[in-house]
Amino acid sequence: MITYVVRRILWIIPVLFTVSIITFMLMHSVPGGPWDRDKRLPEGVQARLNAQYGLDQPLYAQYINWAGGFVQGNLGPSYRYQDRTVNNIVADGIATTFQLGVMAFILAVLVGIPLGILAALGHNRWPDYLSTSISIVGISTPSFVLAILLIVLFGVELRWFPTSGWKSPPYWVLPTIALAGFPIAQIARYTRASMLEVTRKDYIRTAQSKGLRDRAVVVRHMVRNALIPVVTILGPILAFLVTGSFIIETIFAIPGVGRYYITAIGTRDYSLLMAMTMLYAFAVAFMNVVVDVLYAYIDPRIRYS
Amino acid sequence: MQKRLFGILASVAIIVAACGGATASSAPPASTEPGASAPAETSAPPASASNLAADQTLNVTAQGEPPTLDPNKAQDSNSITILRGLTRGLVYFDKDLKVVPGLATSWDISADAKTLTFHLRDAKYSNGDPIVAGDFIYSIKRLIDPRTAAPYSYVTAEIDGAPDLLAMAGADPAPSDATIQAALDKLGVSAPDDKTVVIKLNTPASYFLTALTLWVFVPIQEKWITSPNATEAGNYVSSGPFVLDSWQHNTELTLKPNPNWWGDVKPTLTTLNFFLRSDLTADQAAFEAGELDMVQTPSPDIQRVMADPVLGPEVQQIPNFSITYYTYNNFQDSKLKSFKTPGPTANKDFRIALTQSIDKQAFIDATFAGVGAVANSFVMPGIPGYQPDLDPYPFDLASAKDHMTKALAALGKSSAADLGKLKFGFNTGAGHEPRVAFLAEAWRQAFGLETEQIGSDFSVFLTQRTAGQYDLARDGWGADYPHANNQLNGLFTCHGGNNDSQYCNPDFDALIKQAAAEPDQDKQVALYNQAQTILMNDAAILPLRYAVTTYEVAPYVSGITSTGSDSVSPGELFWETIQILNH
Repeated sequence: MITYVVRRILWIIPVLFTVSIITFMLMHSVPGGPWDRDKRLPEGVQARLNAQYGLDQPLYAQYINWAGGFVQGNLGPSYRYQDRTVNNIVADGIATTFQLGVMAFILAVLVGIPLGILAALGHNRWPDYLSTSISIVGISTPSFVLAILLIVLFGVELRWFPTSGWKSPPYWVLPTIALAGFPIAQIARYTRASMLEVTRKDYIRTAQSKGLRDRAVVVRHMVRNALIPVVTILGPILAFLVTGSFIIETIFAIPGVGRYYITAIGTRDYSLLMAMTMLYAFAVAFMNVVVDVLYAYIDPRIRYS
Repeated sequence: MQKRLFGILASVAIIVAACGGATASSAPPASTEPGASAPAETSAPPASASNLAADQTLNVTAQGEPPTLDPNKAQDSNSITILRGLTRGLVYFDKDLKVVPGLATSWDISADAKTLTFHLRDAKYSNGDPIVAGDFIYSIKRLIDPRTAAPYSYVTAEIDGAPDLLAMAGADPAPSDATIQAALDKLGVSAPDDKTVVIKLNTPASYFLTALTLWVFVPIQEKWITSPNATEAGNYVSSGPFVLDSWQHNTELTLKPNPNWWGDVKPTLTTLNFFLRSDLTADQAAFEAGELDMVQTPSPDIQRVMADPVLGPEVQQIPNFSITYYTYNNFQDSKLKSFKTPGPTANKDFRIALTQSIDKQAFIDATFAGVGAVANSFVMPGIPGYQPDLDPYPFDLASAKDHMTKALAALGKSSAADLGKLKFGFNTGAGHEPRVAFLAEAWRQAFGLETEQIGSDFSVFLTQRTAGQYDLARDGWGADYPHANNQLNGLFTCHGGNNDSQYCNPDFDALIKQAAAEPDQDKQVALYNQAQTILMNDAAILPLRYAVTTYEVAPYVSGITSTGSDSVSPGELFWETIQILNH
């Protein structure tokens, strides 16, 4: 088991390497550069800045410079925020982004899974319709619409929560709900489908015919088995949530790092973009390992050696 | 509530667009306006102590994280709105944007108008150190120094010796440190004593005094700016009315009064908070929830806000020095850039036809909620050189069709449709879509002319516009300082750095050169007028709208000194005059 985990974790290294090469090449193949402004910088100034940041070197040399720094934990300078390094920017925001992501994840699991179970148990009756309606609304409402709705309703009209900022727990409420909206729906739908599948299994009929109480059948036999496929999607969802959301962080003025994933593309802030891509790639790869390990505990048939 | 909800939802599409365009903030109109009051007069009635609120906290937005608070390097409106509170230079503006004393109490201009001598007042930085002449010299040299790579270094071009240094910025191979240092030593700036700053120019340039009001020319202590994390809260050395109290990156930045502030108007505000979010719609919601005290109204919300019984009276519409225009590709000359074949827009009759077929007021009504003034030339109202009567090609469909007929004959085509699709470039995600659609539709209806509307990411768009790859393109300009030189030179001179329209007319260039060397202000304006008349007669561009910004200000905010240089908040040149009334 330990060998398996170590091997899987080591595999993350070539994955990151490949992702970094592809991102680096794509990023530099897009026209434009970090010094583009509506009011053009004098060409001399642009040339000077390129030289200062090594952007005048051939691409392979730039990549080697970047990779050399990355291995030593140096993520490079930010081109947009010239007084700050990428390390600085990431260190400043990562904890907030992580906290928001984890809170949204917990909310999504606590609401999504019961919602899905409820729907499956009341299949084709009102609990199912209610849960399915909530899921459809959740899946089809973009997060920025949900965020603005929450702000208008609870921030402007009712004034229960502040519209933006990240100072104390009341500030956390609206962004967490807005961020959790989509994953709640996703998890609920997955759980429902998976529960319905399990309901038809022989061992459920066996359990029922043995005279087990409904509660025991549901909790011990149905839910436990139905959750295996759900866990598969929880990994990527958590990876997605903890690396931040551009929309939510921008609208609620949250000092996280998620927004940089988009803005860095627009500003051609190459090193910041690389750092964010690496972060996301690592989160996804790592969560996949975690999910695989979790399988072994949830499903006794799976054993790694 | 329902109405409001609907209004806000209607703007959701714009947010998404704005998210993509968040990077596009260009240099703000650096103000050249006459706005700052000489430290003693304010435009608002002074509030008596009795009606002042106990809590003097003002909450505003910077519309985004400032990329830098290093005065020499700043260029974005998010930075400048804050720097106006933290710094002051030799001279500043009064509320009418006339140049008035700042850290210099007086100045002498030599007979040839080429030497400016400034006499400094006794003043201290926020850290208690005296502000000395040497700090101005250090700041100017640092601004020009190619190693600083400051975006606004070009505003120093009139200083004696500066052109050599500016040329070094892009020199290949890069000049050695010794070469740069030697050129810096020869630069025409000096401090004969701690209280005197002398600036020698290479040409008489009456506009240079106005340029000195720019944030890039403020005094900078070498020992401060070279220290680690100099621009972070706690380290920042301020020469202005406020100090940097805290800076939580991307969230909130707080200014407090500078105890050593030397100006006559002391800040009444005890706390000035800047939200650092770049989302106007969310800012609008925060204003309606009472979390922000003033805000820039997002375009889609303007009509709703104006009609609202509570918000309507809080609206302030302030003209600012910027223009919305569209460029025609004037390319004629094979020496220019990479554009190889002149397109139809190189034909003057064709450009006249396109210009005359646009109803500019209808354009403003349809795509700017009616906010803004029709622009027929380039130099903006309020800047010496503005020509209210210059309008060679007013909206006139019949005349437009005549010019199109002539143009088609010259181009050897029987109809506008035969020209194929003209390439019409714009940047996406910044609200330009309806404007581009309005123009394209007007041209299609008038002439049957088809356009291919190419929306690109901001950087891609800029790259292609610079390379002359569009026939028509979105454009805009904000004044760095209120002088015709800043509106015409470099924008329309042959091969100028910002010449997106590829316009090149030697007569125009000659007049701009002559005007720059003309010391007499009135004669100078006449020359700029002649130049601009040539430009507009050539129909080089399609000017559409002088900007007016819509703000909402809470009724208890008093003492706002708004000017055409405001770009993020009204009165941002004079934070120190703002007071909070009882409410």
